[in-house]
Amino acid sequence: MTEADLNTILPEIVLSLYAIAALLVAVYSGKDKLAGPLIWITAALMAVLAAWIGFAEPGTHLAFGGMFVDDGFARFAKVVILVSAASVLLMSRDYMMRRGMLKFEYPVLVSLSAVGMMMMVSAGDLMALYMGLELQSLALYVVAAMRRDSLRSTEAGLKYFVLGALSSGLLLYGASLVYGYAGTTLFSGIIDAAGEGQTPIGLLIGLVFVMSGLAFKISAVPFHMWTPDVYEGSPTPVTAFFATAPKMAAMGLFARVLFDAFGGVTQDWSQVLALLSLLSMFLGAIAGVGQTDIKRLMAYSSIAHMGYALMGLAAGTAFGVQAMLVYMAIYVTMSVGTFAFILTMERDGEPVTDMRALNQYAKAEPGRALAMLVLLFSLAGVPPMVGFFGKLYVLRAAYEGGLAWLAIAGVIASVIGAFYYLRIVYYMYFGEEGETLDRGRTSMPWVFLMGSAAVMLLGIFNLFGVEGAAITAAAALVN
Amino acid sequence: MTVVDNTLIIIALLPFIGALVPGIMIRAGRNASAFFTAVPTALALTMLLLHAPAVLSGEVITAEIEWLPQLGLTAAFFLDGLGLMFAAMILGVGLLITLYARFYLSGDDPMGQFYTYLLLFQGAMLGIVLSDNILLLLIFWELTSLSSFLLIGYWKHLPEGRQGARMALAVTGAGGLAMIGGMLILGNIVGSYNLSDILASGEAIRASEWYLPALILILLGAFTKSAQFPFHFWLPHAMAAPTPVSAYLHSATMVKAGVFLMARMWPALAGTDAWFYIVTGVGLITMILGALIALFKDDLKALLAYSTVSHLGLLTMLLGFGTPIAAVAAVFHILNHLTFKAALFMTAGIIDHEAHTRDIKRLGGLRKLMPVTFIIGTFAALSMAGIPLFNGFLSKEMMLEEAAHTDWAGNPYAVPILATIGALLSVAYSFRFIVHVFFGPVRDNYPSKPHDPPFGMWAAPALLVLAVVLIGLMPHLAEPVVRAAAGAVTGGVLPEFHLKIWHGVTPALYMSGVAVLGGAILLTLHAPLDRLWLRTPRPEAKVIFDRLMAAAVGLSRRITEITHDGSMSRYLAIFVAATTVMGYVAWSGSGLPLPSRELLPIPPLVFVGWICILLATVSVALMHRQRFRALVVIGVIGLTISVGFVYLSAPDLALTQISVETVTIMLLLLALHFLPKTTPIESSVPRRIRDGVIALAAGGGVAALSYTFLLRDMPSISEYHLANSYKGGGGTNVVNVILVDFRGYDTYGEIIVLGIAGLIIFALMEALLNGPAARKLRNADYSQDRSRDRHPLMMVIATRVMMPVAIMVGVYIFLRGHNQPGGGFVAGLVISIALLMQYMASGFAWTLRRQQIEYHSMIGSGVVIAGLTGAGAWLGGKPFLTSGFDYFHIPPIEEFELATAMLFDLGVFLAVLGAVMLMLYSLSRIARYAGETVNIEPMDYDPSKQVVMDEKEK
Repeated sequence: MTEADLNTILPEIVLSLYAIAALLVAVYSGKDKLAGPLIWITAALMAVLAAWIGFAEPGTHLAFGGMFVDDGFARFAKVVILVSAASVLLMSRDYMMRRGMLKFEYPVLVSLSAVGMMMMVSAGDLMALYMGLELQSLALYVVAAMRRDSLRSTEAGLKYFVLGALSSGLLLYGASLVYGYAGTTLFSGIIDAAGEGQTPIGLLIGLVFVMSGLAFKISAVPFHMWTPDVYEGSPTPVTAFFATAPKMAAMGLFARVLFDAFGGVTQDWSQVLALLSLLSMFLGAIAGVGQTDIKRLMAYSSIAHMGYALMGLAAGTAFGVQAMLVYMAIYVTMSVGTFAFILTMERDGEPVTDMRALNQYAKAEPGRALAMLVLLFSLAGVPPMVGFFGKLYVLRAAYEGGLAWLAIAGVIASVIGAFYYLRIVYYMYFGEEGETLDRGRTSMPWVFLMGSAAVMLLGIFNLFGVEGAAITAAAALVN
Repeated sequence: MTVVDNTLIIIALLPFIGALVPGIMIRAGRNASAFFTAVPTALALTMLLLHAPAVLSGEVITAEIEWLPQLGLTAAFFLDGLGLMFAAMILGVGLLITLYARFYLSGDDPMGQFYTYLLLFQGAMLGIVLSDNILLLLIFWELTSLSSFLLIGYWKHLPEGRQGARMALAVTGAGGLAMIGGMLILGNIVGSYNLSDILASGEAIRASEWYLPALILILLGAFTKSAQFPFHFWLPHAMAAPTPVSAYLHSATMVKAGVFLMARMWPALAGTDAWFYIVTGVGLITMILGALIALFKDDLKALLAYSTVSHLGLLTMLLGFGTPIAAVAAVFHILNHLTFKAALFMTAGIIDHEAHTRDIKRLGGLRKLMPVTFIIGTFAALSMAGIPLFNGFLSKEMMLEEAAHTDWAGNPYAVPILATIGALLSVAYSFRFIVHVFFGPVRDNYPSKPHDPPFGMWAAPALLVLAVVLIGLMPHLAEPVVRAAAGAVTGGVLPEFHLKIWHGVTPALYMSGVAVLGGAILLTLHAPLDRLWLRTPRPEAKVIFDRLMAAAVGLSRRITEITHDGSMSRYLAIFVAATTVMGYVAWSGSGLPLPSRELLPIPPLVFVGWICILLATVSVALMHRQRFRALVVIGVIGLTISVGFVYLSAPDLALTQISVETVTIMLLLLALHFLPKTTPIESSVPRRIRDGVIALAAGGGVAALSYTFLLRDMPSISEYHLANSYKGGGGTNVVNVILVDFRGYDTYGEIIVLGIAGLIIFALMEALLNGPAARKLRNADYSQDRSRDRHPLMMVIATRVMMPVAIMVGVYIFLRGHNQPGGGFVAGLVISIALLMQYMASGFAWTLRRQQIEYHSMIGSGVVIAGLTGAGAWLGGKPFLTSGFDYFHIPPIEEFELATAMLFDLGVFLAVLGAVMLMLYSLSRIARYAGETVNIEPMDYDPSKQVVMDEKEK
């Protein structure tokens, strides 16, 4: 353990120490009274770390003998993770405070899971992978069940935990097979053992189990079953968190394992990923059509979006990884905005998630309605919103990666999926007269809603330069 | 000839820049709003027309800036004949609509917003016709959907507009998304997303195997946008929008976008059988169907809407023919249709505005009341009917001429006859527009007394009608534009043609005559036909659309209900089944090497053990509802596995397994006391069968996997450990060395986890006993089935005798742990068991009083000792948790080895012991809450005093 090693993981160390310190200070002093300030501090720290990581010197640094990889890919994912986690924290503060849900553990748990996510995207070893994954998941299990007095929230947390435990078990089973037949847990060693061409069967089976464990984390069909229940049951701020940073982290980890450890045998996993992607896109699109609860709808929407992101990975090329990264960055931004809107949906001070409550919303709140319209079009992938560019990226990646059928299927699924996004727009602009939602107050969620919508519009000029970063990141991963 | 001129980009962007202004000027009044809408439009139009001479002489003007090159997206624009014609139409009509809307919309409507949307839409349309990059075109394409949605939704207070807007958006939006797929394929076939490149490689595209999917996807986009059968239904329902919007979107621009696209892609896609049959067929059907419905519509705007559908069908059919001269006719008709249809829409708007109704049945006789409107409307309608001297006649003649020469699958009559029927119906509804609205007696029951509108309102349609007549009389005026545009459609090669009124007596003239006559006759029969039409059951597209939507929603709900019903067992079933299938696929497709090992004979002992495990496992599945029994059987499984470890020469593992097994089963037994004794039956028999099948498949899969691996020699990691365990770790017991040295971190982590688990159980218990659960516990009745003699004499004696022995065994195992099976972990467990037995035999309170060290600090000190030992390695300049060892020789004793790992083991020992005891402590506290009485004496029944202690206490 050298100084260089520690320097490489300094951001992670800082965040972990902060989480521990915050926990101790809060336990022994103000407890929940400190929760409000803690959220601000946590968000600020995450933003600082994101800037630190984002502007760090380029290049690849290995720490702890390759167990931890700090390269362009990791940095890209970490910036997305930290920024989205900070955003979600900030915008949920008000919501949680007014409902007495704001416990000081919340920012601490979010910080810890962020550390886990940062570990995940930097994992260069099966051990580091599992450690990051579990750190993230354990924190998430707890926050999902944070409303202990709510039956739905506890049910959500319990379901997520039981299924998550099963997926972890599968992943471990797979990892031990990989270790047993590769003789090492280091990705750089596994890629040598897997070789080119015919993969040893032990490794192959191990890979399959690792993949199904990871597919669970990104809620790819058929390992997605927890998503709608957890999205619906968890408190909305928690759902917002679920939909953003962890998705990026899991996707990043997925890419890491596939390219760093099994990059030589693309043909072995490409078809499996393509199938997962196909199923996710279609299930997300078809099942979303019948939903009336907007949080549940967002769950199916996220399943479909993960399908598209997987499409980029399935291509198995550097361009595919780049497409996936761009897609995820855009998706996370859209999700932040959409959930900022959902957080403000309330009637008589009570949260509402039935989308029919949005009837005639545009009349009362033209500005917000317009912003939401932009976001929904973007989610549907309708040009010229930025969401379209994300779709275009992955479709092209799939097409050029020899998966033309998948690209076509993706287009068809997006047509089906457009239906439900447009239906919300329809409710907002043309819905029947009825009880309306409360007038929104100008607050944090408003800032994020408008900001996210603005990004969806202004991003069409150059995608805010995310392209260049994604190219560097993809090049770091696929070589 | 290509000329680069970047002003083209400015033209394309002007409407977007201009769109910002009216929105800001919302309070400045409608004149200002209209003015600032007109300025950018007029500016763009002027700049465009400055390019006109060059373009008409055959030049192509291009401009390009980089956008997102990675995606193949460049902001490339080009202006050729077709683009020029469309751009001029869009901007020109845009100007007229701006003027018209200024007078049409009432002062209450937010004008600024309207004009902003209008300019946005105009910019999007302009973008479509000028794009030189198909991705750019796509973007503008969907932008028209979006901005038209905003425009259609502009009058939010009209409830009938709602459905229409939704349908329009759903249909055109979906079509546009489908088109993305088509464009991607096209770009991939050609290797470029530049339109100029694509148009130049028509051969390659038509020869590609991906041609048909690309064609279908692109046509889906075009057909939905241009309201072609079977997507024709959305257009009439979008008519609830304010009339200026209908006039602009649904006559001149948006619906023409589909036709434009087909014209634009003509060199790349046209000329194949697929193109001919799909495009011509759809066009023909749409033409006739639209005209037929239009004839029986009473709403003026609905009539015009269906007539638009019909004319779009006509255009589609012409493009479908695939001959250059048909393309000329199409281009010419696009121009003509624009002039008369926009004028007609505005006329309808004027009538609606003045008479406050658009219902033909409530109109009539307006000729005298609104003479100016009458002239404008009649001229435009006559052109629509295709009467000579109006421009509609010219292009219709060309259409019929082309139709007359077209074979449909070898049949020379089908197309001409159907085209004539279409023309005939078109005449009929055009005449109806004139006769039923303007002629007839003046009524006295108009909702409002109609009169001609102010000049500003009729100026725009009047100008258009002027164009109708001018082109109708002097067709050669339009010839350069048509020639340039048609040249762009066909890719430069045009046959000799001239636009003129008289072509001599041709088949087309006969057909035209038949159409006019037939149309007039049809109109006289309108009243009885209308009654017949109303009686005839016919599929209503909107109803079908709604049903389809409802069905889709229903289907989706059912799918969701089946797969996401919230049931954990179903989720788990899907999860496990999916993984099993994936594993099977990987296994079966991997080309296994042949088995390289012989099967060994099965020794009887192993067989018995195997049967034992198998039976026990099946028993657990069968008996899991009786929890106590199930737990006992689980214990059996654990012990059998330990025996298996012994048999396979892994005594250390066996030792750990036995002690862990014992401790957990004992703790579980204690905990089970507070839980229901049986699990209720909740699942049906089929579900249990399903679960059984899945479980067997998954278990069988894992078994097959192990079997496969055991039969083959595969490289494995054990050699490395055997070679290095003594050299690197100072021990010969591989597993133990791994535990302590190689994976010192693991063990260190493990004891921390165990310690935390103990603390958490303690903390949870505290929370539980201070909460509502405590009340429940107190009220629960656990007294039944209780033995009178809870602490029997025999057991107390036996455990006390065992205690020192057990501690000795623990110390022994601890000391020899480093080289032999054992170690701190197992030692901790063994001593835990000894203490556990004390507690069980003599009761908790009695034992607690004899306890010297607090469990919390035992865990803490254990972890600290282990941690410090690990950190001690730093002093020697070695990594954390490196074991140092040496041999010592103190005279009377033989040489022995001491490793720092032993100190580490001490920490492990303490932590394990503390954690287990803390758990026990927690359980006993719960027991006392549940009414367990505390004994002071070690035994309930003291034989020397001959009394039952427990009873005495009470």
